[in-house]
Amino acid sequence: MRFPSRLLVANMFFAVLLWLAALAVTAAIAAAVAVFGDLDQSAWEKVPQIARWYALFTGVALIREFLPMYIAHGQTRREFGGHALVTALLFAPFLGVLFALGYLIERGVYALAGLPPVLGRGHLYADTLQFPVVVAEHTLQFAVWLAAGTFLGAAYYRWAGGGVLACLPVAAGLVLLAESTVGGDLRLPFANRFGLGLDLAWPAAVLAGTGVATVLAGLALTWPIIRDVPLRTTRA
Amino acid sequence: MKVEIDGLGLRYGETAALDGLTCTLDGGKIYGLLGRNGSGKTSLMSVLAAFRRQTFGQVRVAGEPVFENRRVTRRISLITHTGETTDIGTAEDALYFAEWLRPDWDGELARSLMDAFGLAPKAKVKEMSTGQRSAMGAVIGLAGRAPLTMFDECHLGMDVPSRKIFYDALLADYMDHPRTIVLSSHLIDEVAPLFEEVLILDRGRLLLQEETPALLGRGTTVTGPADRVAAFTAGLTVLDERRLGPTVAAVVYGPLDDARRREAAGAGLELAPVPLQDLFVHLTADPAGAPAAAPAGAPAAEPSGEPR
Repeated sequence: MRFPSRLLVANMFFAVLLWLAALAVTAAIAAAVAVFGDLDQSAWEKVPQIARWYALFTGVALIREFLPMYIAHGQTRREFGGHALVTALLFAPFLGVLFALGYLIERGVYALAGLPPVLGRGHLYADTLQFPVVVAEHTLQFAVWLAAGTFLGAAYYRWAGGGVLACLPVAAGLVLLAESTVGGDLRLPFANRFGLGLDLAWPAAVLAGTGVATVLAGLALTWPIIRDVPLRTTRA
Repeated sequence: MKVEIDGLGLRYGETAALDGLTCTLDGGKIYGLLGRNGSGKTSLMSVLAAFRRQTFGQVRVAGEPVFENRRVTRRISLITHTGETTDIGTAEDALYFAEWLRPDWDGELARSLMDAFGLAPKAKVKEMSTGQRSAMGAVIGLAGRAPLTMFDECHLGMDVPSRKIFYDALLADYMDHPRTIVLSSHLIDEVAPLFEEVLILDRGRLLLQEETPALLGRGTTVTGPADRVAAFTAGLTVLDERRLGPTVAAVVYGPLDDARRREAAGAGLELAPVPLQDLFVHLTADPAGAPAAAPAGAPAAEPSGEPR
């Protein structure tokens, strides 16, 4: 199979642009809080709350935009499936690295300003300088949102709104489980209010394995939906 | 590329879009695929391009089945107005992926066509006008140089000059790089000069397949006094008849040999060719819920010039 270089590069390029924008916006918000109040926590820590939705929509776009393009350019669904899998498995770590780099930049700025680099919620890492652990946690987080995006994107492309409604509980379950393996605070709509977070007191290896398995399950569930999906030939 | 279609059926729930369609395209020609709305043109091309799998029957391109067959699909291109190949960001992005995914891509042709259509590489395709988006599709389809290239109403929204650019570019590139091209269009008079062979679909079946000159030779308008026209056309297939005072113009379908033509001239009748679009209208007319030129429920037959 050919390496999906252009699919990956196109998504990475856009992610870098968004990362730069996120750095600028976070810096502006942190500066405003520091000027008008007390900046006593990491501002960059809040970014994944939005970035994971970007991962989800990247997954949706993989199916909604790129699957039809691949087929229309004479590629098979199987080829696309392979390319999408490789892209998802490499793109999530790329996002994880970008996010971890953001912490390092923030750490430098906070040090210059004499601010404390305090984390506001539980993580696998206790310090933002634990680069590999930061990358691992957020890779897993972005990966499961990406996988949920491909799954929901496939459901929508094949069955429209009804498909999304039917598949939403499964996608939410995948996200819930994977997020529970990497942190204690879901910060999902309704999840905390209704106590939907899972408190998994499992060994780290089991948690990591569960997280990875959840991501792979999300991607695997996408395949049966797209393996013979008809392309829409009327404009949605 | 030879295309063999045998008993092809495609159903959308209870609706039969294709109903046992059988035909063969020998390839190396520009084919016109005509039919009224809902006749099955898009469905046929969708199956040929592996956009969807047929419900029953067989499709073979270059001797092989199509669906999920990489050896075949990479040599097939279907450009629709839905924008599968273009709605991916900017025009430049669409070319970026086309160049990567199309084995026979000609970047120089793509750039020259972009210039000819006046398309800005940095423009977002989804923000373009309908005509510009169609032009983008035409660029991708032509520069892709797929051995089987199909255009499904891809000139939708194009203005007249753009359509002329498209037709000229298609013909010029086809002459330089002969391949099988299938054009589906409702602007029949405009595209008819490009067609070497015409297929007309009706209700998911093949109504007619014929080389264009032969097809045009089968349609004749007979004009003259009503009684003489009636006498001359007795026993012929009359597709349409219009009366203006004592004069009648009848469209007859079927070859008229030299003897018949002399007979018409002797009777003071005028014979004139019927434009392809008019012929199409008559052949697919549906005044009483049944095809004008074919008995309802007639099985799809072998390719020939006879309407079925």
